[in-house]
Amino acid sequence: MRSPGKRAAVRVVPDNETKMQKHISEQNLKALLDRLISTGTRVIAPRVETGTLLYGPIRDASQIDLSRLPRRSAKETFFPVCEDILSYEKHGQQVTVGDVDPARFAETVLVGVRPCDAAAVPVLDAVFTWDYNDAFFLERRRKTTVIGLGCTTADDACFCTAVGLAPDSSTGSDLFLTPLKSGGYACQICSEKGERLVAAHGDLFTAADHAETVPFATPSPGNIDLKQVKSWLDHHFEDPLWDEIATRCVGCGACAFVCPACHCFDIVDEGTEKQGRRRKSWDACGFGKFTLHASGHNPRDLQPKRYRNRIMHKFKYYDDKFGQTLCTGCGRCIRICPVGIDIAAIVEDISQRS
Amino acid sequence: MCDQSQNIYLPNLVTIESIIDETPDVRTFRLVFQDDRVRENFTFRAGQFAEYSVFGAGESTFCIASSPTRKGYIECTFRGVGRVTEALRRLETGDTMAVRGPYGNSYPIEQFYGKNLVFVAGGIALPPLRTLIWNCLDQRDQFGEITIVYGARSEADLVYKRELDEWQGRTDVNLVKTVDPGGNGPEWDGRVGFVPTILEETGPSHENTVALVCGPPIMIKFTLPVLEKLGFSDEQVYTTLENRMKCGLGKCGHCNVGNVYVCKDGPVFTAAQLKAMPNEF
Repeated sequence: MRSPGKRAAVRVVPDNETKMQKHISEQNLKALLDRLISTGTRVIAPRVETGTLLYGPIRDASQIDLSRLPRRSAKETFFPVCEDILSYEKHGQQVTVGDVDPARFAETVLVGVRPCDAAAVPVLDAVFTWDYNDAFFLERRRKTTVIGLGCTTADDACFCTAVGLAPDSSTGSDLFLTPLKSGGYACQICSEKGERLVAAHGDLFTAADHAETVPFATPSPGNIDLKQVKSWLDHHFEDPLWDEIATRCVGCGACAFVCPACHCFDIVDEGTEKQGRRRKSWDACGFGKFTLHASGHNPRDLQPKRYRNRIMHKFKYYDDKFGQTLCTGCGRCIRICPVGIDIAAIVEDISQRS
Repeated sequence: MCDQSQNIYLPNLVTIESIIDETPDVRTFRLVFQDDRVRENFTFRAGQFAEYSVFGAGESTFCIASSPTRKGYIECTFRGVGRVTEALRRLETGDTMAVRGPYGNSYPIEQFYGKNLVFVAGGIALPPLRTLIWNCLDQRDQFGEITIVYGARSEADLVYKRELDEWQGRTDVNLVKTVDPGGNGPEWDGRVGFVPTILEETGPSHENTVALVCGPPIMIKFTLPVLEKLGFSDEQVYTTLENRMKCGLGKCGHCNVGNVYVCKDGPVFTAAQLKAMPNEF
């Protein structure tokens, strides 16, 4: 990661990097999106709907709002809040099941994605491809080109730099935009997908010059060492800490719903016995019924046990299983928690304990 | 259906061929796949589970209770306690429902060849052992002595009553059936007492023996020390975890115990594996 100071200075750009860098004006970025929409591509971008900034499909580029982090993450582009996995219809004894063919998902361009949101998507590849491939996630992944956007502002909840990311991380992005002081964006080409998009709309991009970029944000998270966090978690399944931090958790699940990396879901039928659909919908391990057995036995019968699972899953279990951390430091759960639970502060506390 | 689609959540349609009422609230379905190819190609191993569904009510997770040696159908045994299982109870012979699976690991039956087997089950937890019991009885000469200790709260709560009679009548099976104190009627011909106590009194040898235990958490809790006392090592004792699950495919995040996904790493575990897991099951 390069420090903002160095980035702001004018430097000689090597030839190969010039090829991987383009510039695009504000106006041409909008023209690109309008052109994509008019040719049938689904364009998803941060836009205000009923007063809330969320990533969602736009009808035209004027709707886009890149001023701040959307309220929910971009994961719903790949893993919707709720989606059909089949439909059914019953006529007499004859039941017909309708498949939802993931091959029919639309080609998509996801634009204006913050580094914390873009980086979470490849992290989720591990669980959705583990032995069984979840085509609902993977097909959307395959068909989506991600245009990331570097962050030039951060608030006191942002802690991406504590979990191995940064306001200029292009992980998970196919193209990565950095705002220029003079307006428009520097556009880094990060993948073949990104290269194809630029090549197809070359008229809207210009060669990179030495225009200065807006300095990246400098979040100031606490002192967190993920290895130390993991090693403490490895040995402290039972610890008074869990009661201390989670007795005030009300189990609302909001943290999981705004998280770019949480991926638990439920499968429910909606409809009558004659006709309806089976749907996958987001769920949260903070909910009391999440692990409730039919017998009434509940392995996580108290909120501290559920909150412990949340921390363990993000900073230990997912690492044990897939070698990755299930948190990108977006800070949404900190901003939204109704009782003020601060995951960054908790993880910092754990980090200091090891 | 499953083999043609990319959709891992798509179930196969099955017809309920027959229904057996095991107890006032526990029922067994024999299910036959409607698609010829699926019926011919469906294979599973003892210990695996499936997602059973009633359209409009949803899916529920149970083990496959029949033996893989019995071809052409699968069976499930369930208690009507929730939205899905109550909907299942309303179905009749000839009705259509759906199944996806098989999922999870299985008993390493090949490793049991040549050994004595002790099955210990309580109440509704006989089904995950019954699949293996019949699997073993159908290749009886591969195993040594077979002992089955099975108990329930009362006579009425015993499942597979006709099969218990059949096992009792066999000379190559030692069935010890019991009911909790007060659960016996005037004609009860079994033992009276809790499963762990009766197991201890039965006193099977641990030598060249594998113990397979399924029951409510409280029964497991008191049975494991009895087995230890009888000389069984934790590697000789197998059980299954019956956690709440949704996908069965290692995705939905419901069934984990620590970093173990019961749906993929289990549901069959040795007592040694259980002891290595955090105490959250």
